Order: sequence, then C-alpha cells, then structure tokens
Amino acid sequence: MTGVPALVAHGIEAGYEPGLPIVKGASVTVGRGEIVVLLGPNGAGKSTLMKAIAGLVPIARGTVTLAGAEITQTAAHRMVRLGLAFVPQTENVFTTMSVEENLVLAGHVAPASVRAARLAAMLELFPDLARQRGLAAGRLSGGQRQMLAVARALMIEPHVLMLDEPSAGLSPKLVRDVFAKLVEIRASGVTILMVEQNARAALAIADRAYILADGRNRHEGSAAALAADPDIAEHYLGLGGADASVVGRSAP
Amino acid sequence: MIDLLGYGAFFLVNALIFGVLCLGLNVQWGQTGLFNVGVAGFAAIGAYVSAILTTPDAADRIGGFGWPILAGWLAAMLVAGAAAALVGLATLRLRADYLAMTTFGIAVTIQVIALNATALTGGPFGIAFIPRPFSSLAETPIAFNAANLALTGFVVLGLFLILETLTRSPWGRVLRAIREDEAAAASLGKNVNFHRLQAFALGGAIMGLAGAMQAHFIGFIAPDNYLSILTFQVWAMLIVGGSGNNRGALIGAVIVWALWSLSSLAVGTFVAPAFQARAAALQIVAIGVALAAILLVRPRGLVGERATVSRDVEALAGESTSPHEPVRD
Amino acid sequence: MSLQFLADGLFAGALIGLGAVGLTLTYSILRFSNFTHGDFISWGAYLALGTVGALTGWIGPAARFMPFSFGWPLIVGGLLAMALTGLLALLLDAALFKPLRRTGHGIVMVIASFGASLALRAMLEFLFTSEPAYFSRAIQIAIPVGLGIRVTPDQAAMMGLALVVVIAMHLLLTRTHIGRSMRAVSENPALARVVGIDVAAVIRATWLIGGALACVSGIMLGLTVQIRPQMGFDLLLPLFAAAILGGIGSVWGAIIGGLIVGVAEAGAVQLIGSEYRSAVAFVLLIAMLLVRPRGLFGVREG
Ligand SMILES: Nc1ncnc2c1ncn2[C@@H]1O[C@H](COP(=O)(O)OP(=O)(O)OP(=O)(O)O)[C@@H](O)[C@H]1O
Ligand SMILES: [Mg+2]
Repeated sequence: MTGVPALVAHGIEAGYEPGLPIVKGASVTVGRGEIVVLLGPNGAGKSTLMKAIAGLVPIARGTVTLAGAEITQTAAHRMVRLGLAFVPQTENVFTTMSVEENLVLAGHVAPASVRAARLAAMLELFPDLARQRGLAAGRLSGGQRQMLAVARALMIEPHVLMLDEPSAGLSPKLVRDVFAKLVEIRASGVTILMVEQNARAALAIADRAYILADGRNRHEGSAAALAADPDIAEHYLGLGGADASVVGRSAP
Repeated sequence: MIDLLGYGAFFLVNALIFGVLCLGLNVQWGQTGLFNVGVAGFAAIGAYVSAILTTPDAADRIGGFGWPILAGWLAAMLVAGAAAALVGLATLRLRADYLAMTTFGIAVTIQVIALNATALTGGPFGIAFIPRPFSSLAETPIAFNAANLALTGFVVLGLFLILETLTRSPWGRVLRAIREDEAAAASLGKNVNFHRLQAFALGGAIMGLAGAMQAHFIGFIAPDNYLSILTFQVWAMLIVGGSGNNRGALIGAVIVWALWSLSSLAVGTFVAPAFQARAAALQIVAIGVALAAILLVRPRGLVGERATVSRDVEALAGESTSPHEPVRD
Repeated sequence: MSLQFLADGLFAGALIGLGAVGLTLTYSILRFSNFTHGDFISWGAYLALGTVGALTGWIGPAARFMPFSFGWPLIVGGLLAMALTGLLALLLDAALFKPLRRTGHGIVMVIASFGASLALRAMLEFLFTSEPAYFSRAIQIAIPVGLGIRVTPDQAAMMGLALVVVIAMHLLLTRTHIGRSMRAVSENPALARVVGIDVAAVIRATWLIGGALACVSGIMLGLTVQIRPQMGFDLLLPLFAAAILGGIGSVWGAIIGGLIVGVAEAGAVQLIGSEYRSAVAFVLLIAMLLVRPRGLFGVREG
C-alpha cells in the first residue's frame, strides 16, 4: 500500500436511530488497487458500515475520505459522481425496469459522449446481460441479477467499488464466475471493498481482510495471515484448519 | 347571566358530542393507527338511522316508527358499526392509504344518499321533528340545556370509563402491540386484521352514537351537516388533544369547538352580511393552516400525551416496521 | 337508447384520467394519497382564468379559433397556468410535506393534505366566492358524428389534448432521464440515491408535473362545464377510483381507469338517473380493492 489510500473510514459510529449506534467505532482502510474483504458474523454491522460509507445511513462520529478528500457528510447521490460505487446486499436492481434501463440510468452521471460506449462495454463484459437486455430485471435469475447490480455499479467507472455480499445466493460455479470478474475488474485499476460470508473464496482473491464483530474491528491483516490463523478460522470463518491452509496457499 | 349559563350548557353539549366523535376516532387512529377520513359519513349514518326510527309517522317519508330515543341511539351504533366493519373488511388488509380513500368515498356516498333518497331521508331538506331528550323542558331553555348537559355528560363519562378500561385490557394491549409492531404481534399469534376490524367497527359505532346524539339534541338534520368540514373538525380536535389519549380527545374537542364557535360569532357580529360568506371561507383557511402548523410543530398534540403513547406513535412511523415509510430527500 | 352517453362518458373519463395521471405519479413517488390533488385542479382552472383574463386585458380580445370556443389566449394562458399550478404544488410541498417527510410520519401526510385541501378550497371561495365562472359563454353547437352521437368541437379538441398529454407522459417516463429517475424513486428511493439520482430534484419534478397535469384537467373541466371552487374536490373520488383501477404508478392504467370510471358514471346516469352519479366511483373503488387491489396494470400493491 503506497501513497494516499483510495478509501479510509476512520472511527465510524453509525446507526438507524439517534443514540442507537450499530457500528461503534469501526475503521477500514483500502489502498489503491487493493481488494479488501470485510468479514464477521450476521448482524455484526457490516452492511450498516457499508451503507454509512455510501451515505445511506447517517454517520454520528468518524470520518470517511476518498482518495484523501473528506466525504463524510456527502449526500449519497453525490458520492457516485466522486467515483464511489456501491452494490447493496438486497434490492440492488430496479426490478420494474429492463436490464438496459438499469444500466442507462446509472450511466447518466457520465458525460453524454461516453455513455453508449460504456453500455456496450458492460454488455460485452457480461454476455448474459446482453442476451437479456430487454427483460425486466425482476425476471432475471438471482445470479444474473447480481451481475446486473455489479454491471450497474461499473457504469460510472468507479475508482472504488463497494460490494455487499456479491456472492449471496449464487451456486458455487457462479461464485467462482463473480469472483473471477472481480479480479478482472481490479486488474483494470478499480479498488474493491466487499463484504462476504463466502469467506474462503473471498480471502482467496483478497489482499487484506477485516473482521468486524458487534460493530467494532476485531481482527485485521493480510488475507493469507487471517486465513491461516486457526483461531480466527474456527471463530469467524467457519473453516476447518485444513481448509484454512488451502486458502492460505492459494491466496495471492 | 341566566342566558349566559344557558348558552354555556348549550355550548358544552355540542362540544361533548364532538368529544364523542373524537373518542371514536381515537379508538381507530389513536389506539390502532387506522385512518378514517369519513368521520362525517359515520356520524351521518347514526343521525339518519336514529332519526328515521324515532320520528313520528310522516306521510311523505318511509320511516317514522316512533321508537324511544334510546333505542334509536342503539340502532345508530349498530348500523354505523356494521358499516365500518364492511369498509374494514374490504380495506384493512391493504395499506393505510386505501382505507383513507375508501372512508372518504363512503362519506361522499352517504352524503349522496342523504341528498337523493328523498323517500327515506327527506332529501336536501332533511328530517325535522326529531324527538329531543327532555323536550318537556323546552319552554325554559336553561333547564332544557342543563338537563341535556347532564345526559350528555353522563354518556361521555360512561364511554370514557369504558374506553379507558378497554385501553388497559388485554384487548387494548393487543391493539397497541399491533400498532407498534404489526409483524411482532402477528408472530405472537394475534389475528392482526380481526383486531383491527373490531377496533374500526367500535370506532364507527361510537361515531354513529355521536351523530344520533347530535341529531336528537338539535332536533333537525340535513345532508349539509355532514360535509367533509365535519371530518376535518374532528381530526383537528384529536390532533390538538394529542392522539392516543382519551382525555386529550375530549379536551381537544372543547378547545377547538370553543375557537370555532367564537370565530363564527365574531364573523357573524363584526362582518357585514355581504362579506360573511367570504369571512367564513377565511375561517376555514385559518383552521386548515392551524391544523397543518400543529402537525408540523407539535405532531403529538398541544395538550400532550402519555409517554407510552408517543413511543407507540414513533414505532408506527418507524423506518423498519411501517409500511408507510415516506421517501426521504 | 342513444349512444350519446358513451361519448359523454369517454369525455368525462379522459378528464378524470388526466387528473388521475398526476395523482398516480405523486402517489407512487411520494408514497401518500394526496387529497390536495383535486384542489390543484380547481386552482389550475382559476389560474388559467386569471392568465387568460390578464392576456386579453393586456392585448385586447382575440379571435376564436373557429369552430372552437377559445383562441390563442387560452393556449398561452393555459401554459402559463400549468407552470403556476406546478409552482403552487411545489410551494405546498416546501411548506408542508417536505418538513413532514423529514420527521418521518408518513401517514400524517395524508391528514395534512386533507387539511391543506380544505384550506386551498376555502381560499378560492374567499377569493372568487362560490359563484360559477366561465372561460367563455359562447354556445357550442354539437356536431353529429354518427351513431346518434353529437360532440362539440371543444370536446373533440380536449380529447385530442388528453391523448397528446398521455403520450407525452409515456415518452417522458420511458425515454428521458428524469422520467426514468421518477420510476426509480418510485420503486426504491434508497437504490435511486445509490445510482446517483438526486431524490429531492425528482420530487420537485413530480410536483411540477403533477400540478401542471391537474391544471390541464381543470381547464378541460372549466371549458366544458363551469369553474367553481368545489370542482376539483368533487372530482377527487373518481380520481382515486381511476388511479386504483389502473394500478398505482401506471400512466396508461390511470387513463384507462379514468375512461372506465367516466363511462360507468355516464352509464349509471342513463340507467338510474344522475342523482347517484358520485356513488359510482365508490362502488368501482371498493370492487377493485376487493378483487384486485393492485389494479389492472399495477406492478405492486400501493
Ligand atoms: N434498516 C434498518 N433499520 C433498523 N435496524 C437495522 C436496519 N438494518 C439493519 N439493522 C440492524 O443493524 C444490525 C446490524 O445489521 P447489518 O445489516 O449491518 O448486519 P450485517 O453484519 O450486514 O449482517 P449480515 O451478515 O446478516 O448481512 C442488526 O442488528 C439489524 O437489526
Ligand atoms: Mg449484511
């Protein structure tokens, strides 16, 4: 990690009702070009932290900086223009709109001259979507919907892409596909912060990882180190020792 | 002085009858979170049912059964409650807005029926000679008004005590639980829609009673008494008093009715006849603006309400449980 | 039996449908049934009356477009009035609904709109009294168009206008960014923000469009019947019925719902007389809620 990190969330305290913080002082740093994964038990506050960074949940304390510029209280719809894209965990496509409309709507923040090219690029990156471009997004399969959500986020050519459980509900084959796409996307220069329950696959492609519990940082380190730690594997990753070593070997 | 006392009693009877309407709306909205913009319709049902049953035989009209007043009141409650149950049956399982539209629709429809079913309702001229309680005292207005005040006060007190008991009963707790967290109440095995239906019907019956009481106190009814302004007044009273609170409902009724009567009096006294219609319109603008202002500044009412209630209201409007989350900008 | 009622019903229905388009839009994006929509219609008519009066006062009387009852002042004045009615809706939102949205009491907005509706209507009564007013007192000759049906030129023009407006709305919602944004906010406001949509701007656009459409139906109503402070409020129940019938959020649904309500009302007048006309919309509303609450073309329940 060199230079100014792409995204820093420092000491974030956030929640849905005043005085009832769900995230209680969590910090995450994502270096330029990294893939960082956020792990933790259900209800740990991972999604809430992501939503707080994206401007959907009010931040009571702490700061968020994007490439060195503070964006803590920036409205969600402005973050997009600053190059921060977010794929929420649920309801992440407009079901009543067609695949193409979903993409066009998101691409509107780009200059008019490049919109058509981006749409074409997305349809090339996700051939499944190209075949279904006229279909209402509500009629896509779960995996296709997830692809659409990712494609939609990429329409803005983000510097930082935040994904909340992109592999949720996907078959093992699709999980591999999605993660392979993420590696491809990172290779094109995009920084990625993602939440995952699919810890093994996520750590395999990640550079570093954070473990969040009860709204606070519990552990952090390189993906390989965390995966190799049998204690962590047992408590947070649901991985046996053997699995952990497999992940440890395969991590970059 | 005597005159003033007599007027005071007359005013209070009217105010307390509005109080009964408010108590009915409070069962629906305050306790259960059910929306009703057809208060005038349910009051009209009660008024017409009781009037038709209790008036003496009339040549030009069906009805005129000469029943005792009390029987008329009971029938009024029954029919208005049944009408509310029917509306509830159609809409309570849907989102709150549909209940608002439907109750609005029923008020319009009742108005149309009152206006046009001349054989039953007397049409635009309404029904006169409705028997008034203590009519033997009508010669001395003060005694008449005082006796009616006693009767109305007795009914209001009885109703108040019943409703307070109900509020604290297990049934009342279920209602509040439903209002606070519908999903949680349902998961505890409570039949949410049936409880709502009961509350909506009970509220409708109480409004019917109020309509009947008013008809018998004034002795004359006409369709014009049941325009949407009546609904609006009752809402203003409940909101001023603080919804969810029976005592607040009654206090709100007296306060708003006093302001309304005073401003009407002022319009009648100080405004030249040619401009009275315009001044009355301005009076309505003022109360409309005042209601909106209260909703903005003190959404829990001027009189205030108990802490539990405000917590319920928050739960009702809470982000995760409410089907009615507004868009944020 | 003459088929005239069908023509009358379709005309009334087009007018109801236009009003319902605005209602269904504001409902699906702002998520509450706005009782002031009927009063926007009345205000639209009076504002048009005012702008037309000002224009003819300023430039002098203008010739009518024969065979219609109106000339260019109504067209220019109407466009002005549409903007003004949109502005009125915007003002009301800023003063009342926006702060209520912030405190988060969703259903409270309905009762607030009920109060605002009464105030808006009473304001018109204060300004113009309840005496009816007219755009023009010219008598229109109804022209026979076959099957025993007669239509006045104004009615024909209004039907054409309604069609143009609906097609324009359809194109707006499907082909323009602001239209797609409106659909996005109506489906999922949080996701709309995530894709970069300024929800506050969408809400402003919605009020402007809703108000302008209400003004168009007010002008249509004023041209063919008369202008009264109550006129829009009396139309509210048919508007709700049309919006529910068509399915909340659906523009074509609102128009078709409006036509159904209009024809049903006209048919009922034919069969049982005009007295119970206003109950027809209620019956349709209840029937639809019982059978298919999401409406004919609705995608979801409210
Ligand atoms: N919209 C909301 N309103 C109120 N509370 C919420 C909301 N969303 C989540 N919460 C609460 O916040 C806490 C953390 O939820 P969050 O979604 O952040 O967890 P998570 O770590 O993403 O869990 P999961 O792995 O199951 O997705 C939970 O206790 C949940 O009840
Ligand atoms: Mg989550």
